[in-house]
Amino acid sequence: MKRTRTNYAMVRRLILKDWYLNRWMIFGSIPAGLASLAIVLTGKQVAFMLCIILLCMVIVGVGAQLAMVTTVNERKEQTLAFIMSLPVSWREYTAAKLLANLIIFIIPWLALTAGAIGVLCLPGATHGLIPFTAIMAVEMLITTCLIVVAGVITESQAWATVGIFCSSLGINGLGYAFAHLRGISAYMWGMQVRWTPTAWTVLIAELLMVPLLLGTAFFVQSRKTDFL
Amino acid sequence: MNNLSVCMEGVSKRYPHFQLDNISLDLPQGSILGFIGANGAGKSTTIRILMGLVRQDSGTVRVLGHAMPAEQTAARLEIGFVSEDMRLYGAPTLAWHMNFVSSIFPRWNQAYAETLLRRFDLKAEQKIKGLSHGQRVKAALLLALARQPRLLILDEPTTGLDPVARREVLGELMAVLTDEGRTILFSSHNTLEVEQISDRIAFIDRGRLIAVEEKEDLLDRWRRVRLVVSPGTALPQLPGVVEVGGSDRLPVLTTSQFDPAVISMCQDRGATVQSVDPMTLEEIFVANVQSRRELQLA
Repeated sequence: MKRTRTNYAMVRRLILKDWYLNRWMIFGSIPAGLASLAIVLTGKQVAFMLCIILLCMVIVGVGAQLAMVTTVNERKEQTLAFIMSLPVSWREYTAAKLLANLIIFIIPWLALTAGAIGVLCLPGATHGLIPFTAIMAVEMLITTCLIVVAGVITESQAWATVGIFCSSLGINGLGYAFAHLRGISAYMWGMQVRWTPTAWTVLIAELLMVPLLLGTAFFVQSRKTDFL
Repeated sequence: MNNLSVCMEGVSKRYPHFQLDNISLDLPQGSILGFIGANGAGKSTTIRILMGLVRQDSGTVRVLGHAMPAEQTAARLEIGFVSEDMRLYGAPTLAWHMNFVSSIFPRWNQAYAETLLRRFDLKAEQKIKGLSHGQRVKAALLLALARQPRLLILDEPTTGLDPVARREVLGELMAVLTDEGRTILFSSHNTLEVEQISDRIAFIDRGRLIAVEEKEDLLDRWRRVRLVVSPGTALPQLPGVVEVGGSDRLPVLTTSQFDPAVISMCQDRGATVQSVDPMTLEEIFVANVQSRRELQLA
């Protein structure tokens, strides 16, 4: 069986199409994100925590909503037939959906992670929180990947909702569990950064989850026999 | 083989409650095939296999020389597809859709697209969500036709349209079709539409292809023969009779192998031929399906 090469120009067109169709939601999230950041300017520690929580909500919320709209709605609103009538392979379609969603998520996520770690690096800040912050930032990336992958594979609102539910549980449950691991909790509130083997293990395991989830999406899509 | 736009051989696809069974279908280049079947007969599944959207369990499919589904993207570059369950994006305008599709198909003809805009009485600046169902079908047809496909696949495009819109779409489609020498597969359960458009006909029922032939040959072969039979005279055995209706004295025979010689054959056997009536495509389709279902039951 002849394997056709991936048409990257087509992937780019599909990504731009999804961003264009959802441009108001993407643009709308910017003022919400900026408003959250403005809170930090008050200079209080409580304001910093509030800012982080609000930003997480905005980023994860937009990521989840975008995933639902670009994957589940495409089938629900029967626009999938239009897209699949074009010269698009399952590989290009899957790549476009994953990238369209993850790029939108990763830009503010990187800014937020860098910002949070930057603040923690300031003199007088609790430097010991840096490993835990990095672990939780990657946890956010995993949960978004999970929602997007669930949406792409199942194209089902119910399963995407299950993905969102699992992601929420993941952030809270795993966050709590990681914060109580001896190798992390012992140094978390200290003034020195301690990258313990436990912290590294958790972080590397999380990072490996990302390609594993994305690979799962491609694997499941390659096994599908019906695309409409 | 080279002048076949579509070549399906022994194609089967099994679902829990439906099976497409051993479909073999050839579509010569430049022909217009009317694909007729009741709802759930397997038309859309066959078309999705042709488009590479559904992978067959067995059998081979070649579309415009490309093996499907392996070479589906190359094939779809030359296919225009409109189906009943296809929707365009609601928020953007038709112009956005035209721009999007034209960026993908190198053979997109903008001048032709603008001609179709006028012919279909559409406005490029209008948002799709503001269009009526009939206008949306026309917009989808425009997007399929202006890419100048070698093969046009229309899967029940007129379903759900009111009679006026259906007539408009069909009229405009027929006008467009006369311009081109492309191969067309037109699926519908509305036999009148298919009869108007097609030069070849395929019947599908319960996942099986039960007839594929030239429309004129099909219409010529099928007749309803009205006889007057004297009491005590046996009904003449005619070739290809699929249905016997009417009464004992005034039987009506439906035959799929009509020949003028049948008339003299009846007269030789003591029956008077009252009339020989041509049948519509719908009558032929229904008689064909019913006789095969009865055969299956027997």
